[in-house]
Amino acid sequence: MPHAVDVRIRNDVSDIVILRDTLDHLAREFGIPQRALTQLQVALDEVASNVIKYSWDDGGPHEFLVRIIVQPDRVDLELFDDGREFDPVTALPPTQPAAGQRPRPGGLGIHLIKQLVDRFAYERIDGRNHTTLSKTCEVGTAVQRSEE
Amino acid sequence: MNALSIGQTRAGNVCIVTLTGRIDSTSASDVMAELTRLISSGEKSILVDLGAVLYLTSAAFRALLVATNEAERRAAKLALCNLAGHVRELFEMGGLLDVFAIHNSRDEALKQLAGPHA
Repeated sequence: MPHAVDVRIRNDVSDIVILRDTLDHLAREFGIPQRALTQLQVALDEVASNVIKYSWDDGGPHEFLVRIIVQPDRVDLELFDDGREFDPVTALPPTQPAAGQRPRPGGLGIHLIKQLVDRFAYERIDGRNHTTLSKTCEVGTAVQRSEE
Repeated sequence: MNALSIGQTRAGNVCIVTLTGRIDSTSASDVMAELTRLISSGEKSILVDLGAVLYLTSAAFRALLVATNEAERRAAKLALCNLAGHVRELFEMGGLLDVFAIHNSRDEALKQLAGPHA
């Protein structure tokens, strides 16, 4: 401990499966509690799909790095991409619909992330976006069900 | 592992769609496609059972919102049931519990959807 795993994926939403499976694997190996794991999976999907959708607008193939760090008292998710500058932490929340109206689809992801993790930070370093999410949890105490 | 599966059964005039697994950005489009297909095919009462869903993300909420709007446009009803544990918590976090027609159980939902004229 800590244990870090680097995963490099394409800006293709189907590659999110690789992140999901890596996090599942780490949860089983290190005993990340189920509730924290579920919340991390949702947050990871939101933040990675955000990078895929918004970081590049040239339609071309790109790759970005996701680092998952398992600590005794928390799990950190770090994303590094060389797309356009975007700070999700200060992004405006979805606009509230008028009374009796349904919210417009979309725009919820960042709102969810802020409630799911204990720390959500952004920095622009050397022309790259660096987004960090941390979830506090007692790693190693959970008895993981063996699946499949 | 635990990818999404979509099942379908019928109870009277209600089409029940059972979702199992995770509804995330890789699978939400399948949910949207299936629900909009059912609405386009003329289904007037659709019940989405979320009891076996592990978790869902904003992409899933978007799919459910689009399908609900589409149902309304075509004078159809779309309801959700069996939101438990993490799933209910995520609806709460998204401020979405009041946005959909949500029922505690399948039975309760079927009574409501079947309506007085059933």
